Amino acid sequence: MRLNRMAAFGASVLVLLSACTTGGGGAQAPAGTTPVQVPPVATDTISPGATQTDPGAPTPSSPAAGSPAASGSPSGGGASGPTLASTLVLGAPPECPERPFCAVGLRKKYGIEFKEIRALDPGGPLTVAAVEKGQVDVGLLFTSDPAIAIKGFVLLEDDKQLQLSDNLIPVIRREVLDASPEIADLINPWMAKLTQEELTELNRRVSIDQEAPADVVEEWLAENGLQQAQGEAPGQGKRVVVGSTNFYEQEILGEIFAQVLEANAYDVDRRFNLGNREIVFPALQAGEIDLLAEYIATALEFVNKGKGEASADPAATAQKFRQRLEPLRLTALDYAPATDQNGFVVTQETARKYDLSKLSDLARPAP
Amino acid sequence: MIRWDWIGRNLDDIAESLAEHLTLTVIAVLVGFALSFAASLLIHRRRWLYAPFTSVSGFLYTIPSLALFAFLVPFTGLSLLTAEIGLVSYTLLILIRNTVAGLDGVPAEVREAADGMGYSRSQRLWRVELPLALPVIVAGLRIATVTTIGLVMVTALIGQGGLGQLMLRGFNRQFPTMIYVGFVLSVALAVIADAALLLAQRALTPWSRGGVR
Repeated sequence: MRLNRMAAFGASVLVLLSACTTGGGGAQAPAGTTPVQVPPVATDTISPGATQTDPGAPTPSSPAAGSPAASGSPSGGGASGPTLASTLVLGAPPECPERPFCAVGLRKKYGIEFKEIRALDPGGPLTVAAVEKGQVDVGLLFTSDPAIAIKGFVLLEDDKQLQLSDNLIPVIRREVLDASPEIADLINPWMAKLTQEELTELNRRVSIDQEAPADVVEEWLAENGLQQAQGEAPGQGKRVVVGSTNFYEQEILGEIFAQVLEANAYDVDRRFNLGNREIVFPALQAGEIDLLAEYIATALEFVNKGKGEASADPAATAQKFRQRLEPLRLTALDYAPATDQNGFVVTQETARKYDLSKLSDLARPAP
Repeated sequence: MIRWDWIGRNLDDIAESLAEHLTLTVIAVLVGFALSFAASLLIHRRRWLYAPFTSVSGFLYTIPSLALFAFLVPFTGLSLLTAEIGLVSYTLLILIRNTVAGLDGVPAEVREAADGMGYSRSQRLWRVELPLALPVIVAGLRIATVTTIGLVMVTALIGQGGLGQLMLRGFNRQFPTMIYVGFVLSVALAVIADAALLLAQRALTPWSRGGVR
């Protein structure tokens, strides 16, 4: 209940934000002055324009042999015309249409394209509320989100393995790690301790119980035996800038890094709640932030511009990721067992109505 | 619903956000006004400059802030400067248009009278045209100020953002109190700034007292 009201309010804040991102919005000149031209406000919905004429999946009468979409044609065999997905609305972050593990991957791997992709927050309360209220049919959440279980959403099984090894991994500037190689030894043991259960529990305490990330992390670190360094601490006189994007899980990870380093006498500067990868990667490269939590497969495909190098093997994906980070003067520490993948959810009602349990069900012909 | 205890414990944080919001706004409006004022005087002298100046400022106005910040971060970092480049460029269109409109609104007879009294061009500008244009110029400043107070929020993308940062943090943590505090304070800031500018304009243009604003 509280979450709902909160999300409704947050929605208006975000609408304001998205209106603002075009520059102006509602600037009105008072009477008697030259009216200021109001620029077009960015629409917050992105329609895959060609849905009707080009349902993404090739029809049997036009065998698109050799086309990359061919491998993703609906398994239903006799699928002709629009798919079930083309009658549904997906709620996802604004960058979804360009992301390989979102709209692009859904089209290539599953042959599905939604009627509309409504731009919402990255797996936050807005998306949860939109799914719950039926404003979108399918919502993109993260698999470590405790709201999925609490709201009783049906997580559609990723039966064609679109989502790959999205284990949490700290990305660090090469220069910082070279100057302070001990940072790896300080952070890595904590990544090893971060299992799926631990991560989901930390997320639950912040997003459901409304506890402050700093407090939750402080308790978790203390319970798991974080020692305050005595005497000659490695971080004496060293400054590290820890970043995070505007997603609570990121802030939790940022707090873990920050507090572990602070316990070793590092001077930590927190730059949390930054924008998405388009902001934080340039910031990492420019040396504005030194350390940031990432998700191996998604971050690799961001850095390599969607070359499809990520796999279901986290070790191989992490190795490839480090190679790709090299020219950016960045590297990555050890990844955690915990993953956080894109998860597509529907309400139980929607699942029953269309008989949905896995993503490929969305590629069935429209009713 | 509102956690008063949280507000009580975090007054310092809230005051800091408010101060940051005010700083971002004041710098943006002052720098924006200085640039626009200079541009408007140039336009006033060389009329053909109007189209290029307004189309450039109009273009800046339409750049999405995320794109602008993503472009600037490699050069200017997650800094106040990056935030201000965005905010200042969003004030230019409003301010240039209003300042030029104000100067254009001075009746031709008044200008001729000033010429007839032997005013030089700059005397005419500073003593006659600008004072008469003041209400329209201040109207532009008021829009720019109130708009900027709202726009400061988008600089939260680069870790600035003043009260916007507070609201965004509250939103991410699903902690409504932070959003309410940020919302109430930014609206209050906008109302107070608008009223202050209006009062300043009234004080500077005593001759228009009682007339239209």
